[in-house]
Amino acid sequence: MNLREILAANPKMKYIMFGGKGGLGKTTFSAAAGYYLAKQGHRVLVFSVDPQASLSDIFQRDIFGKGAVEVMENLWAQEIDADKRIHEFQDEVRRRILERYGLERVPEEIESYISAAASEPAMEESAIFDAVVDIVFQGNYDYYVYDLVPLGHALYYLSMSSIYDQWINKVTELRAEMQRYTRVIQRMRSREESEEDEILGELQEIRQRINLASSIFTDREKTGFFFVMTPEEMTILDTLKAQELFTKFGVPVGGFVVNRVIPDSLLAESVPDYLKNRIRSQKEPLAKIEELFGKRIVARVQEFERDITGLEMIARVSEQLFQGG
Amino acid sequence: MDKEKEQKKKRGGIFGGFREFIYGMAAHDTARFALKTRGSMEHLFILVTMGDMLGIPILPPYYSLRLLPYVVPQIATWKRRMLREKDFTDTLA
Repeated sequence: MNLREILAANPKMKYIMFGGKGGLGKTTFSAAAGYYLAKQGHRVLVFSVDPQASLSDIFQRDIFGKGAVEVMENLWAQEIDADKRIHEFQDEVRRRILERYGLERVPEEIESYISAAASEPAMEESAIFDAVVDIVFQGNYDYYVYDLVPLGHALYYLSMSSIYDQWINKVTELRAEMQRYTRVIQRMRSREESEEDEILGELQEIRQRINLASSIFTDREKTGFFFVMTPEEMTILDTLKAQELFTKFGVPVGGFVVNRVIPDSLLAESVPDYLKNRIRSQKEPLAKIEELFGKRIVARVQEFERDITGLEMIARVSEQLFQGG
Repeated sequence: MDKEKEQKKKRGGIFGGFREFIYGMAAHDTARFALKTRGSMEHLFILVTMGDMLGIPILPPYYSLRLLPYVVPQIATWKRRMLREKDFTDTLA
């Protein structure tokens, strides 16, 4: 099956993701998939969770931290600015403290904690994670195309969500237990029931958000996860390893896209030996890819004569991505 | 009507006094214990969520910050409790 057939056969599939090593063409294919779906008349958002995102480059527009920007009819692109989001979040926390206690300024030790928390290493990932949940929660689009971070990060992202989930579960249990004690005390003192525990409510909301984010990754019906690779020994090995890890985390792999295939037909033309050698050196890895992944290859995309930037080039890639296979 | 209300109030008053008395006899200690347990749990909760204030990072900071506004008043007493030196009066507490 090629990508077009997969999408047609799975009408519920609304999250499309491309994963793989850095520099293999994830952003290119995210843009191309967005382009194809938008041309079909769907409302599509392509967004990047990579702090060093390159959607701006491929669409030739500065979209970093500007929210969802419409790059053509039905197609929006978004790059999340984690720093900006962290600052906004800190301000929100300060505002809530001031409002809640009617203070003029945030107490010093609380303020130093708020500022210090921003520089924790996990903060950026959490902020991006939360931003993604926001985007998906709002549900403004028919399709969401994730331009994922390189493999290691994607796995970190996945394992983080399962660890967070466990943590929040424990903390929620403790909080629920505390609420039971509060109720007992109130009943013994014949007081009326207190208002709902706000912290418990907050924890439950956090849990719900984390669950939603991680459930998307593991939902066979709604999510199509595709590995990008190139005909090189190294990437084949990496892809095999990554596929194993993703399966361990319960991520269903939808298929494989082979990128940068130099057309065989060039051998018949008068091209430099350098290029002929390159073509010949792809033969073996290509055969290995066929043997290992065979029918699970959803597209073979050729190496283009120039870099992929701008809608015209994206359209050309999109054609190969959806017609090939 | 007014008389009836007054009577009810009076009865409630007597009953209420009796209830307070029983509470004092039987439940006061239990309630005190429950309160103490609840207090310890409160401190445990803040340790788990705001631990990195003391250099013990437990919950990811992003979520700690989300909970922070609710526990601001408890933080000072919590820090005092966590950092104070233990002495013989602890056994009396």
